[in-house]
Amino acid sequence: MNRLDIIGCGLISPAGDQLTAAFVGRPDPAEVTGMYEADLPKPVAHALASFSVRAELGRKGTSFFDRRTALTVMACNRALADADLRITDGNRRRTGVVLGTTAGSVKSSVDYAVDTFTQDPPYMVNPALFPNTVMNCAAGQSAIWLKLNGVNATVAGGRIAFLSVLRYCANAFRSQQADYLLAGAVEEFTPHTAWLSHLRRADGMLPGEGGAVFVVRPGDDSSNGARRPDAVMLAVSIGFCPNGSDRMAAIAGCVRTALARAGVPPDQIVRAASGGADNEATAEVSWRAVKDVLGHSNWERLEVEPVAGDNPTATGALELAALLALHRQRPELDGQASVLVAQNPEGAVGAAVFRGWSRDSHRG
Amino acid sequence: MKRVVITGLGPVSNIGIGAAAFESGLREGHSGISTITAFDTAGFPRTMAGEVTAFDPEPILRRLDTKAWGRSSQFAAAAARLAVRDAGLRIELAEPHRVGVVVGTTSGESQVTEELGRRIAGEGFGSLPKELAAQLPAGRLAAAVSEELNVTGESVTLATACSASNYALGYAYDMVANGDADVMLTGGADSVCRWAHAGFVRLGAVAEGACAPFDRDRSGMITAEGGAIIVLESMDFAEARGATPYAEVLGYGLNCDARHMVAPNAEAIAECMRLAHRNAGVRPSDIDYVCAHGTGTAANDATEAEALHAAFDGCVPPVSSIKSMLGHTMGAASAFGVMASALAIARSFLPPTINWSNRDPAMPWLDPIPNHARPARVRVAQNNGFAFGGNNAIVVLGALS
Repeated sequence: MNRLDIIGCGLISPAGDQLTAAFVGRPDPAEVTGMYEADLPKPVAHALASFSVRAELGRKGTSFFDRRTALTVMACNRALADADLRITDGNRRRTGVVLGTTAGSVKSSVDYAVDTFTQDPPYMVNPALFPNTVMNCAAGQSAIWLKLNGVNATVAGGRIAFLSVLRYCANAFRSQQADYLLAGAVEEFTPHTAWLSHLRRADGMLPGEGGAVFVVRPGDDSSNGARRPDAVMLAVSIGFCPNGSDRMAAIAGCVRTALARAGVPPDQIVRAASGGADNEATAEVSWRAVKDVLGHSNWERLEVEPVAGDNPTATGALELAALLALHRQRPELDGQASVLVAQNPEGAVGAAVFRGWSRDSHRG
Repeated sequence: MKRVVITGLGPVSNIGIGAAAFESGLREGHSGISTITAFDTAGFPRTMAGEVTAFDPEPILRRLDTKAWGRSSQFAAAAARLAVRDAGLRIELAEPHRVGVVVGTTSGESQVTEELGRRIAGEGFGSLPKELAAQLPAGRLAAAVSEELNVTGESVTLATACSASNYALGYAYDMVANGDADVMLTGGADSVCRWAHAGFVRLGAVAEGACAPFDRDRSGMITAEGGAIIVLESMDFAEARGATPYAEVLGYGLNCDARHMVAPNAEAIAECMRLAHRNAGVRPSDIDYVCAHGTGTAANDATEAEALHAAFDGCVPPVSSIKSMLGHTMGAASAFGVMASALAIARSFLPPTINWSNRDPAMPWLDPIPNHARPARVRVAQNNGFAFGGNNAIVVLGALS
C-alpha cells in the first residue's frame, strides 16, 4: 500500500552532477562573496556559485525563473533522463510533480516585500516576478517546462517535507491518480537562506544548495516487463510529536511502524540516515531513536550534511540520492535495506524503509 | 473504501467566526470587506480587503502559545478548535495517532515574510531576529493544528496556492477512506499582507469597488484572509459516536494546466471537472450547485464559465461565488467553498453572489444566484479551486443517502 518504485534520480549538487561522484570525499566550499549585492554571513558556502540558468536551460521561458525554480526544472530533466522516461502525449496527463519545500523561494517573496518598502509608490513591484512568490512556483514551472498535466503538489514541511512528498506520492498512486511522479526537494542558495541558516544554527555549518528529484511509479508492478527499480520504498510512516511529548519515542514509533508495514525485521536494516538537524543534540535524538528500534550495531550512518552543508529542505532527498549512489556503485549491496528518518523543529516526525539495487544486476 | 463525511465546520471568516455565524453570513449575503488595517496603505490605489477584524485567538485556543506562532498558524489552530467543537467531537477521547491534519496555504506566514522584508529594507539582513525567522516555515500551519489539538497523526501542509485547501481535502479524504486515520482536520489558512496585496494590485487584478463575480462590469478580486478547518471522519466513526454529518465527500479531481503560471486554461479546468465527476461517481446532471472559484477578475470568471459550459454540456446548474462576500482568502478559499457547499446540502439553500447587477452577455446562460440566498434542495454540490501554477482541484460533496 505504501510501496513505490524509484526508477531514476536527478541530482543538483555543487559537488558534481553525477550521482556516483557527488558523495565521494568532502569538497571544498565555494567562494560566494560576489554572488549577490547583499552582505552574506560567511564568504563560502556549499553553493553552485557559477550556476547560470541560461547556460543550463537556455533563454526562452527562463528569464523570470528564480533560482529554486531553475534548479528544480534542471533536476526534473536529469531525473527523466536517468530513468530513461520519455514524456509523450500518451503519459503526460498521468504524470505529475510533487515537491517538498520549507517556505518556497524565500528570496522571491521577501524581496517582493522589500520592494513595497523601497518603491514609490509602494505597489510598483514587478508583476512578472509575482508568480515566483507562491510556494508552488517550482512545481508549476516544472509542469509547464515538461508539459505534465497530472497531479501537481507542493508539500511544506522543512526537514520532513521529502518524506511527506513520498507519502503523498504513495497515496496518489493508491488512489490511481498518476502513473509517474517527479518527487523531490531542491533548495536555492541566496542571502536569505544563508542568513536564515546562520540564525538557526550555532555550529558554523556552511549553508548548502541543491537537492534531488526522483522518478517514482507505483510499486508491485515490476513483473509487467518494466525496468527494475533503483530502489523501492517499502513503507513510510509520518506522525506528529506535540510539545512536551517524547520526541525520541515519536521517531522510534515511526520507524517501528514503517518496518512493520514493510515487513522488514529490524536486524535487516544495515544503513540509516537522520534527515539532519540544526544542532548535535537534536541529531542525536534521531540517531538514538534508530538505535533503539534496530537493537543491533551492524548498521552504518549515511550522512550528507558534511558534504552538502546545511540544507534542511533537501537533506532527505539528498540522503536518498546518496543511498542510490551507493547501490549503483556497489552491486554487493544489492537488496540491502535502509531507513531514512526525519524531524522538524515543530514536531513533525517520520521514517521510511527502502531496499536498493545496483543497475548492472537488472539493466542491460 | 470507507465512506467519508463532514461533521464539523470551523470558519474563522470576515463574515462570521464559528459555523452558525458563518452560515448566517452566507444566508444574509453579508460583505466581509473593510478598510485595510494590517499595513499602512499610503500610496496604494486599492485600500480594501477582507480582514478578519474580529479575530481574537485567546478565547478560542487552549494549548497553543500564541506569542510563538504567526497569524496564519493562529487562524488554522483556532479554526480547528471551532471545527472540533462544532462536530461535538471530544478529541481527547479519540486515539491521538488516528487523528491527522492537512492544511492548505498560498503564502504561509505572509506577515512574517512582510516583517522580514521591512527589516531587511531598513537595517539589512544582520537585523533579523531569530525568533521571527523561526516563524516563517509554512509547515507550521498544520503543526499549529496538531499542537493545539494534541494529536499525533500525520501533520502536513500543502502549499498549492489558491486551490490548496481543495488539495488538502482530497488528501484527507483518501486518508479516511483508506483507513489510515479515523479523523482528519483539513482546510486552509492565509493572512492579508502588504506584498501580496501589492502584487495583485500591480497585476491589475484588484477590484475598483466591490468584488462582483460573473457581473458584466466586474473589475477584479479583493484580497482577504481567514482560517477554515473542517472535520472529516469515516461514516462508521461518526455513526458510532452519534454525530450528525453535514454532507458526504464523494470524490475529487486534480490536474495541472501546464501552460501558464497565472492565466487559467478552460480546457484543463473542464477536464478537471470531468475527472472530479468520474472519481465521485456522479454525472454532470446530478450536480445541483457549483461553488465557483469566482475571483471576480474579467479573465478568470470568463475562463471558469467557459469550462463549466463545456463540462456540463451547456446545462450548468446554479453557480455562485462566495468571494463576493469574503474576498479571496487564498489558501483558505477552497475550504470556505467546501463549507458553503456542505451548508447548501445540509440546510437546503444556495449561497448568493452579492454585488451582482448585470448579466454578462458572454455567459447569458449562467445563473449566479444574484444577491440573495435561495431555498433549494441540494443533493450534490461541486466546489471549484484554481491556482497560480495551473493547480486545479475540484471537490464533489453529496447529501447523505
